[in-house]
Amino acid sequence: MSPCIVSVRVFLLSRQRALPNVAQRVRKLSTGAASGPHPEERDVVIVGGGPAGLALAGALASYKHVRDSLSITLVEAGDLSSVENWSLNSGSFSNRVSSITNASQAFLKAVGAWDHVENDRTSPIEEMQVWDGVSDARITFTASELGLTAANNDSGVSPQMARLTENLNLQRGLLRHLSASPGIQISDKVKVKAIESEVREGGGWPLIHLSDGRTLRARLLVGADGFNSPVRSYAGISSFGWSYDTQAIVATLSHPPRTPFEPPNTTAYQRFLPTGPIAFLPLSPTASSLVWSTRPPLAAALTKGVSGVLALMINAAFRLPNVSMEYLHKVILEAEAAGTPLTLSQIKDEISWREKSHNIDKHSAFSSMLTESNQTGMPLEHSETLPPLISSIQPGTAASFPLRFNHAESYIGEGKGSRTVLVGDAAHTIHPLAGQGLNLGLGDVECLARCISNTVLQGGDIGSHTALLPYAQERYIENHKIMSACDKLHKLYTTTFEPVVWARSVGLEVINELDSIKAALMLSAGSSPKGRSSHRPGAAGWNRAAQGIEGLAGGFKVASMLGGAAADVVGSGLRQLLKSLPQKN
Amino acid sequence: MSLWQVPRCTVAITPKSTSSSRNTHRAISVLRPLALHTPRSRCLSTPASQTEATSTINPSEIAFFSKLSSQWWDEQGEFSFLHRMNPVRMQFIREKLLEVKRDGEYEKDGFRFDRGGQDEGDHVKVMQGLDVLDVGCGGGLLSESLARSGAHTLGIDASSSNVAIASLHASADPQLSPDTFPSSSTRPTSRAGSLTYRHAAAEDLLQEPKRYDAVCSMEVLEHVDNPAGFLETCAELVKPGGHLFLSTIARTPLSYFLTIFMAEQVLQKVTSGTHTHAKYVNPSELISFFQKYRKPSVAGESGRPWISRTYEHGLPTRTEAEVRGMVYVPWRGEWVLAPRGGSLLAPSAQCNYLFWVRKPL
Repeated sequence: MSPCIVSVRVFLLSRQRALPNVAQRVRKLSTGAASGPHPEERDVVIVGGGPAGLALAGALASYKHVRDSLSITLVEAGDLSSVENWSLNSGSFSNRVSSITNASQAFLKAVGAWDHVENDRTSPIEEMQVWDGVSDARITFTASELGLTAANNDSGVSPQMARLTENLNLQRGLLRHLSASPGIQISDKVKVKAIESEVREGGGWPLIHLSDGRTLRARLLVGADGFNSPVRSYAGISSFGWSYDTQAIVATLSHPPRTPFEPPNTTAYQRFLPTGPIAFLPLSPTASSLVWSTRPPLAAALTKGVSGVLALMINAAFRLPNVSMEYLHKVILEAEAAGTPLTLSQIKDEISWREKSHNIDKHSAFSSMLTESNQTGMPLEHSETLPPLISSIQPGTAASFPLRFNHAESYIGEGKGSRTVLVGDAAHTIHPLAGQGLNLGLGDVECLARCISNTVLQGGDIGSHTALLPYAQERYIENHKIMSACDKLHKLYTTTFEPVVWARSVGLEVINELDSIKAALMLSAGSSPKGRSSHRPGAAGWNRAAQGIEGLAGGFKVASMLGGAAADVVGSGLRQLLKSLPQKN
Repeated sequence: MSLWQVPRCTVAITPKSTSSSRNTHRAISVLRPLALHTPRSRCLSTPASQTEATSTINPSEIAFFSKLSSQWWDEQGEFSFLHRMNPVRMQFIREKLLEVKRDGEYEKDGFRFDRGGQDEGDHVKVMQGLDVLDVGCGGGLLSESLARSGAHTLGIDASSSNVAIASLHASADPQLSPDTFPSSSTRPTSRAGSLTYRHAAAEDLLQEPKRYDAVCSMEVLEHVDNPAGFLETCAELVKPGGHLFLSTIARTPLSYFLTIFMAEQVLQKVTSGTHTHAKYVNPSELISFFQKYRKPSVAGESGRPWISRTYEHGLPTRTEAEVRGMVYVPWRGEWVLAPRGGSLLAPSAQCNYLFWVRKPL
């Protein structure tokens, strides 16, 4: 070892510029030998044991030549054994769920991880109903309508657009898959203390100092470490974004099963209220999951308030006209501010009074008051346009978290931060309204694993910029399109400004008429499964969907400027624009 | 003993012409209208004696690349095109070796349906244990990939600063220099190749008995003074039945436009003076060289030509030699290997191309 270093030094000393580095490097080598163990050489160090990090480890392990030639370590601060041994009774569900698109599911199947996800705890989504909270304009998507037949979907069940899965069920599946496949070293309950760049002429490799005293020297450092990614800060990658003035309430909802005359509980419902969208996501015949984005004080009042209030308010939020929802919000917040939160019966009274004033029959599907009265076993008229009435919230499942939009400026580190790459939430954080966060992360992972596999086959250096560039090129634009579309949708629907409401309801109804746009929106949700070797599906579909949303958002801007008088003109312009979209593509 | 050895010689070759006169010369050649009046064919006839072959290195070329040597591993700088080209070169090398291996198995065992998972394994292991020589290794872009693929790789370069940069870069990488990092014993060892660099000219190796399963020389031919002598040296270093891989640039108006006018002058992605159009070599010239070249490795015997016949468009048979264009796709920022079987006049073979020829057994 020594002669080569000497000769390299001789060479470097002849170049003035290199002098300080050489000196440092030599010092480093000598002190390293005296003070501690050598860093352990790893080809891939994944920081973060969330779904993205675990899926990446699993995907890499599924390629034999990758597993045979690379040393891979995953580092996680938390205790992964609690995730691996996680279990709940069959009726109860944890509160963080994700809709796994068919594309993501196909990827997980190809990797071999999907078999370890407990299928009984997942539910297909066969239909989506989305409507405007102010105008009630509605779109309906069904899987069969989109040609997603059973042939597309090798599990042999009825066509699905996505599969709803608890995040823990997925994470546990990924962990079980990893313990069944050799070659990946998992270090949990170990924190990353510091990351530094090795001092070396021509650019050092990342050194990861761990809380258990070890130091890893990484050919490639993967940041799967979430929104506040330490790997991202090490790499010097800035990210841009904003927090929405919005909290997402999550909870597991219990409700009676659908009657035999109704469609099964496999429809996802989402209503766009000006305070944010509220979504009902089916998990089983009698349990579903809630994601309700709303103003932070309201979220606090609802999640921490008297038990039973949240269930009532959820039922109301899918049914009452927006005026009344706003009134209820106001009443709740005022009572909260006065220090005398409303009791369950007070809220019940308020809701039933509002229903009366809107002429909602308390025996109709549009009443939230119906809890026990419908014992006939016959479905009410229009009951399929609304989610089932919630009877209770599963204890301990109501929680809320802030929403933000965030996108790293780059997915690969350069200069001093080279040999780093970001996946999942470390790279991007998205509004949950389209349920795409986890799927974007899985898309990243699939692409990065393919990129690493190709580089290994060609004998390349997987930490090099050249090797990682295809990943960044493929994923950045793709993710950005989806993220901007969701962001624009959020902004578009959080207004009650009349011309905009009118414009967007026209937008939704026009969309409902245009199959191609609908298909594009569906593709956007990654519903059509594809093989792992191909690019992620729906690039063209996304373009079209993004343009459609751009069109709506454009109309929003113009309408805001011109005000009500010109709304007609703008409206017809918007209609023209939306109608011209399919031809353009 | 370390597999990764010290550069044998660290004394730089003294350039015969100074860099300033070099630049003047280049400036003039660039000003010459398109430089297309230069010979219609480059002289690739076999020189009379071995001694002439020792002078294939052009000292001013060496001085020129020595100046750029520190930039070899700046992947977004001067050599970014080469970095991106590297996976395509490796793909070509690997696929060709695999094809020859399969042809050999087919001749021996006949066609077998039940290859099972063997294909995937072959794909990964095809280079394992081969002795490969990389002539004109530069910063070691190809040499490193060859070594990682499991080949026992020797990279040589006539510029000592290139060799030093290549050695320094490899020393950071435990996959290439296992001995310098004792703690790397945990790594999987399934594909342990080795990498050695030497400051030497190809001609220097002729004196040694060692011959190679594959000799690669990428983007070098267009920089040497006596291409015929250079090819002969490379050919001589190949074991019987072994492989010679070259990549270079065809001498066409398109290549002048892309590699000199666009890359050096308009976009200035590549330092002006990197290329001299008159020195480019056409695929047809390589083919006709190897149709005539028949020097055997055992002296005294008159061997058969490396390329014994060609099809109507001048293309050799798949088992003897192959020409494949490489095309840069700017919007994807990557090179792609042109599909096989195209004519030598196809647009894809009008600029950068790869060439493979096999030494007869």
